[in-house]
Amino acid sequence: MLSQYIISQVVNGLCQGFIYALIALGFAVIVGIVGLATFTHGEIIMIGAYASYYIFLACGHNLILGLLASFSASWIVGIIIYKLCYERFLEAPEHISLICTIGFSMLLKNLAQIVFGAEKKPMLNVIENQIYKFGPVEISKVQFVIMGTVIVLSTTMMIIFNKTKWGIALRSVSQNREAAALVGINVKQTSMIGNCIGCAMAGVAGMLIGIYYQSISPTMGATLSMKAFSAATLGGLTSVPLSSLGGVVLGLIENLGISISTASFRDVFSFGFLIIMLIFKPTGFVKRKGARP
Amino acid sequence: MLKVENLVVNYGYISALRGISFEVKEGEIITLIGANGAGKTTTLVSVSNLIKKESGKVIFKSQDITQTPPHKIVKMGMCHVPEGRKIFPELTVYENMISGTFGNPALSKEKINQLIEKQFTLFPRLKERRNQAGGTLSGGEQQMLAIARGLMMDPDIIMLDEPSLGLAPIIVEEIFELILRIRENGKTILLIEQNASMSLSIADRGYVLENGVVTLTGTGKELLVNEEVKKAYLGA
Repeated sequence: MLSQYIISQVVNGLCQGFIYALIALGFAVIVGIVGLATFTHGEIIMIGAYASYYIFLACGHNLILGLLASFSASWIVGIIIYKLCYERFLEAPEHISLICTIGFSMLLKNLAQIVFGAEKKPMLNVIENQIYKFGPVEISKVQFVIMGTVIVLSTTMMIIFNKTKWGIALRSVSQNREAAALVGINVKQTSMIGNCIGCAMAGVAGMLIGIYYQSISPTMGATLSMKAFSAATLGGLTSVPLSSLGGVVLGLIENLGISISTASFRDVFSFGFLIIMLIFKPTGFVKRKGARP
Repeated sequence: MLKVENLVVNYGYISALRGISFEVKEGEIITLIGANGAGKTTTLVSVSNLIKKESGKVIFKSQDITQTPPHKIVKMGMCHVPEGRKIFPELTVYENMISGTFGNPALSKEKINQLIEKQFTLFPRLKERRNQAGGTLSGGEQQMLAIARGLMMDPDIIMLDEPSLGLAPIIVEEIFELILRIRENGKTILLIEQNASMSLSIADRGYVLENGVVTLTGTGKELLVNEEVKKAYLGA
């Protein structure tokens, strides 16, 4: 039954990869639109997870409510991050806001340990355990819901980015802030919205991860944000579709890797792949359009 | 329509503008000419409030806009086409033009479509390339796109910063003809140029900038035949 095992590992990898993709996509949106890197992304994931956890506790097993809760909680934290770490430092050298986000991430992590408790919490079983079979492929309902949520969210985002005036405003800010101000875009407000969209994606991903692994903790974000960073690097840091592709690839490689070794080597495979990728193709999958050859 | 009084701008210890005053009336083409470093671009960016002003006043449509944030100035009907075009390289030509409409939220969908058609008749080459990424256009086409983007907000005044920069002479002529056509459509134009002979020949009035002060002013024709201007800028 080796092939069966491989197939289920591919499904697991895809599911995991979709979550990474959602985080990476948020990261790419933030870096692209604000123009500054963030190291608070992992903590946003954690906040999103806790927000949905408490909503599930209070309101029962309502996935939509949990999603809304993690979306809005991380959106609000996104506003705070923007006001604290970015707004005053847009003109300053990049490392200042970068260090500011590192500091804020420590603050959030430790506050979370005080407020939520340092121990791991079991996530409620929101989705009942059920397995669908499509020929040789077996997908659990949890995986189904996760993939569905990611697909719906990312396509909505793609539509907003590529088809609406809002999207044109966001993209023009990411390409040239000064010119964007000159065509009448409120650059500060638009970058804040960009930052919040990125954070909200991470928050929802936090909820999905909580559901997938059945546990959440204040330090859950650390490795996840590194994974997202790797995935975004594969996509050249700012390209949204390629960053998501990077996430999926990373998830697949991890799960195929552990299927031939043990699960404790998970991170070895994903970060090893990142290193190899950076050595041989440092620009990631990106091919710039709009540049004259 | 636009009045600048005693504008002073410093870059650190260097004073870029040392008290510039000028006025643009409705329907005019006004040009500021001067050598590199005279303060032409600085004048425009400080009118648009992209940089801090030391002192002085900017009045637009009899409102003081000295401290108004840039995007609000744009919404009052002032359009600034920056030096070096600064189009959005990864947006298509069409999207670049749509981005121009953010400056005027009052525009209806029909009006936007009308404006796009209008720009396409003014710049037929952009129509051919409407789905191409802005960054793939040639320099002249990018300049046209930058002007078209500016016109999309249907501004009252359009400020052009060195539209001829780095373009072949034949394209420069094309651009200046366009500027005249834009004025015929009822816009006021503030033009900044190094190409003094071209800009003075289409301008109603001109100001000569030297080291951050206005040293000469007059109608375009007067300045064209002025001995000092001839010597310094026209190479005669």
